[in-house]
Amino acid sequence: MVVLRAHMCPGLELQLVRDLRECVCNAYLCVKALLAIRRVLLAQHTAFPVSGADLYEDLLSSTAILSTGHPRLDELLDSGLYTGELTELSGGPGTGKTQVCFGVAVHIALHLKQGVIFIDTTGGITATRLHQMLQTESSSLEEQIAALQRIHVFQLFDVFSLLDCLCSLRRSGLQPVAVGGACVRAVIIDSVSAVISPLLGTRHTEGMSLMMQVAALLKALVKDFSVAALVTNHVTRSVGGAVRPALGVSWSHLPRTRLLLEGPDRSTHSFSSLRSATLIKSSRQPCHMRVEFDLSWWSRSKEVPSAKRKHS
Amino acid sequence: MQRPVWSLPLSSAVISKLNRRGYQCTADIEHLTAGQLSTETGVKEEEASEVLDLVDHQRYPVSITALELLQREAELKPIVTFCSELDRALGGGIPLGKTIELCGVPGIGKTQLCLQLAVDVQIPECFGGLGAQCLFIDTEGTFFLERLREMAAAVVRHCSLLTEDQEQQDAMRTFTVEKILSNLFVVRCDDSMELLSQISDLPAFLSDHPEVRLIIIDSIAFPFRLHFEDLPLRTRLLLGAAHQLAALATTRNTTVVMTNQMTTRVQGEGSRLIPALGENWGHAANIRLLLQWIDCKRMATIIKSSSHMSTTVHYQINTDGFRDLSEASKRAKVQTEDQKAVGNS
Repeated sequence: MVVLRAHMCPGLELQLVRDLRECVCNAYLCVKALLAIRRVLLAQHTAFPVSGADLYEDLLSSTAILSTGHPRLDELLDSGLYTGELTELSGGPGTGKTQVCFGVAVHIALHLKQGVIFIDTTGGITATRLHQMLQTESSSLEEQIAALQRIHVFQLFDVFSLLDCLCSLRRSGLQPVAVGGACVRAVIIDSVSAVISPLLGTRHTEGMSLMMQVAALLKALVKDFSVAALVTNHVTRSVGGAVRPALGVSWSHLPRTRLLLEGPDRSTHSFSSLRSATLIKSSRQPCHMRVEFDLSWWSRSKEVPSAKRKHS
Repeated sequence: MQRPVWSLPLSSAVISKLNRRGYQCTADIEHLTAGQLSTETGVKEEEASEVLDLVDHQRYPVSITALELLQREAELKPIVTFCSELDRALGGGIPLGKTIELCGVPGIGKTQLCLQLAVDVQIPECFGGLGAQCLFIDTEGTFFLERLREMAAAVVRHCSLLTEDQEQQDAMRTFTVEKILSNLFVVRCDDSMELLSQISDLPAFLSDHPEVRLIIIDSIAFPFRLHFEDLPLRTRLLLGAAHQLAALATTRNTTVVMTNQMTTRVQGEGSRLIPALGENWGHAANIRLLLQWIDCKRMATIIKSSSHMSTTVHYQINTDGFRDLSEASKRAKVQTEDQKAVGNS
């Protein structure tokens, strides 16, 4: 139960609260005043209906589609990451989740010249690799440096600091990190399951609520500031040997688009850079669409892009 | 959207006291002082100031740009492995500030590589080393001091051959086998409980010994494969420990090397060897190296890394330690293969 305090909403002055307390004490309730408070509170806390036409106009002006930089993945995602949406990459160890995240960050920072927030929860980020990727994309040192400055890195190792981080980003409107640079259009979290999965599986429901809190904050963030969110997730193996994303059923409703990355069959001793991506949830493309892509795309040399394209 | 009070890392008693007085969101508390909060809700004054610390925006995490991160990384020298092929594949050696997992069958050389790294991390800075100390957490009882002495002697010999200028001569005067042994801390953990508490205690240990840049856990698998019946609990404990190690590695620029055993997975009719401790554990380390026998030769493969291409290299283990498969023996192998080919034709 919420206790009434002054300034909770307009009209609820300190005097009124005192009066109310007195009213209650004297068992004499001023019904009119109470109803007025109720009206104000409801008006302040209910959402307004928006017409579809307005919404569509809004959508056209605010939504952007950020290309991932990899033609095969763009194909799967219907031309890229949509702002205002949550996209998830899941896959086992070594399937290239982090590489795809790096690739997306580099593409957005270099070619689209937009800011990127990269939240690393595993210690897996290496700027050396980002720099390598930039070198294959651009030969000018200034461009590379400018792109590196557009990527803002948070290194966090528990769910509470992740919540703190998302809260402060939301509160500041993504502003402090955007100083001097372009505005932020993408938030990447690699990986979300690394901080959440140690909390799940106990009898306490606390872990589940924290997971939902992360998701709710992230969704509010992407909607309010029209940025694209890309998160990575682990996989679990069911008894039959089939692979599915971790974090359970409740999480599975949250991302708008989910991709499952799989590596090559490791039964042979060859370790290739070929990976496959399967669309397992999408509202735009048919599910179970599958493409093969090559992780070495991001290390390709500029001269022979056509050969690589043929390859993938 | 407001941040609810329950999502703060507080005890449930404090949260319920706050909620009872109507404080549901962090925004309700922010403007209060510790004294006010304490008198209004009945929590202790220290608890109240702890709550206020948690909602303080000054304390929120700050970001750095990738450019700053690149500059920081450039300042960190890697730990050489003495196998030039592996060093090249890893971009100069085992990088600092990462967690590395070594997987392999018994006898493939996991412990040998660990011992080698424990020595290599101490190579003086004027020889391109780190001049740091090492912590070795031994869970299997395989720490073999005699072998370490051999490797240390080989490294000292190697450095003395390279000595050129005055600075290096000075460094060589103190860089001895005894010095290497005294800069190595060995902890013996007998079961999973001891190992987990040791891991939780590492931040304090590192504060006391800031020179430690390498932590070796040989092996992480053994205590956890021993009578552990509750598998979900095992996964949770392991992932929690891995997360602590990753946080430690990143914030202190210390490398953590863990070894892992192999297990058999039955697939249809056949079976194959995969690293132990389950699917989820695979995400734990930043870099995963698989050591294996291929055609009677020892091979190391990078099977997971965010910054290196998957590569396979040869190595060998000789009396000096972990080394390149030497040119001579490579040539000999090629010759015998040629001879075989000739013989066959």
